[in-house]
Amino acid sequence: MTPRPGWWSRNWASLAAIAAMAGVWEILSFIYTAEAAPGEPMVPGWEIVFGRTLLSLADYWGGGLGVASVAEGAPPSYTAAVLAIISNSFDTIVRLYTGLIAGAAAGTALGLAVSWSPWPRRVVDSPLQFLRTLPLLAMVPLFQLWFGTEFIGKVAFVAYGIGVIFFAGVANAVRNVPQIFIDNARTFGASRATLYRTVIFPAILPELRATMLLALGTGWGAVLGAEYLGAQSGLGYMIVYSEQFAYLDRMFFVALLFVLYASVSYALFDRVSRRLLDWTAKSGQVSATL
Amino acid sequence: MSDVKIEASALSRSYRRADGAEVKALSAVDLRIEAGQFVCLVGPSGCGKTTLLQIIAGLVPPSGGNIVVNGQRVTAPGPSRGMVFQKDSVFPWMRVHANVEYGLSCRGVAKAERQKVAAQYLERVGLSHVAGAWPRELSGGMLKRVAVATVFANGADVLLLDEPFGALDYVTKRQLHDVLLTLWAEGEAGRRRTVVFVTHDVDEAMILADRIVVLRAGRVVDDLAVAADRPRTTDALLLPGMVRIKHILLTHLGLEAAR
Repeated sequence: MTPRPGWWSRNWASLAAIAAMAGVWEILSFIYTAEAAPGEPMVPGWEIVFGRTLLSLADYWGGGLGVASVAEGAPPSYTAAVLAIISNSFDTIVRLYTGLIAGAAAGTALGLAVSWSPWPRRVVDSPLQFLRTLPLLAMVPLFQLWFGTEFIGKVAFVAYGIGVIFFAGVANAVRNVPQIFIDNARTFGASRATLYRTVIFPAILPELRATMLLALGTGWGAVLGAEYLGAQSGLGYMIVYSEQFAYLDRMFFVALLFVLYASVSYALFDRVSRRLLDWTAKSGQVSATL
Repeated sequence: MSDVKIEASALSRSYRRADGAEVKALSAVDLRIEAGQFVCLVGPSGCGKTTLLQIIAGLVPPSGGNIVVNGQRVTAPGPSRGMVFQKDSVFPWMRVHANVEYGLSCRGVAKAERQKVAAQYLERVGLSHVAGAWPRELSGGMLKRVAVATVFANGADVLLLDEPFGALDYVTKRQLHDVLLTLWAEGEAGRRRTVVFVTHDVDEAMILADRIVVLRAGRVVDDLAVAADRPRTTDALLLPGMVRIKHILLTHLGLEAAR
């Protein structure tokens, strides 16, 4: 085996592409100078985004920790702006991951249940297949009326969106488990519970990786959607609030935060899942042998 | 009749093909296998030998008749009947030693004990050096050794093997015959495991079996005793009695005219 090339030689091309994108954006900001509102450029350049825009995010700091809020009459400060970013990001991320864990657990349990015996399949399968076809974002107002606009309402919505994906992913993955592994376990006297724990669950993990990536994307969309309507904090709330005043640069800044958080969550998941799936053939082998 | 291990009576199995036709995989099979016997089921492909094995294993219910193992009617798979499959059945998500321990852990054997047993059988099949490896890192022949070690480690007294070495190259296949016969022969004559080995390979059957049962179109058409001593060397296979058996088998398979 040849030694793995260093981090830099593996990633320089991607980094250069990202830098090029940032450069194009900056050039666009000089060429296209239209404004959404007086003083609010449609394409805010980086000097605006990381200067005036960042400072203006202090508006979203509600006060506390010895840093007074703008609403209380304090001048905007970078400290307040950073605190605003941290606290609103924290709110969104907690909503997302609470919903993600609850939804993934419930969806996986139901997906395994429909393969357990005919009765759960008859009872659970059709209604859930029906729910799958409902467009997720159209359900936001319903969930707000049912569960309120507080924490529970948003978490329930995210959990619903992710639960449906996990249910479909798990039910399908179980159907794809090769019969020979099931037969093999049964001839060793595995009980039904042992069969699920030692064969079905590990066998579906590679497919669940794809389900999880899909669910992460949907989860970020769902939590934002839930925050667009009726939230008093969070990144979605910042976007809606900014839109009302045509603060395009702030919306752009929050979008950048999304990109950052989503990338970090994908990377973390990738690292964890790679360890769990050590037994499968290493991905990337194809390109390595070509 | 305490030494009858497997008894099939009037066993039949039919199924409906996708085109609606009724297919009889087995019809009225009567077969008695004594404890400690090494039986090969031989026949052309589609003759029902795999179906018979799956019924003995309890993986497939018979359409009619009875199958009794150890004096009990078979209704489901169980740890008293170990099976080695034609395709790779080793769990890819468990390391080699965990695979060999699998049957024992299903039965709640303590960890220290099952590690000891697994290590012992891995050594017997010559795989101690890869105990901690993932199955994907092993060759096809090594995977078969793992499967054989796993059924022996589990202590089943009936072993069912469904063309286990069919996909292997000649050298690997011959090595695995030795492994299998060594493990089988190590029990005292009275406590040897009973083996039912499905194959379409006449030479394989003659190297391994005490008794060769020939199936054709779902029926038992011949039942031959193979009395030659083991190990069956190249010369032993050329003795007149063995050559005669080979002629009979080849005739059943339609490769030689009856004489």
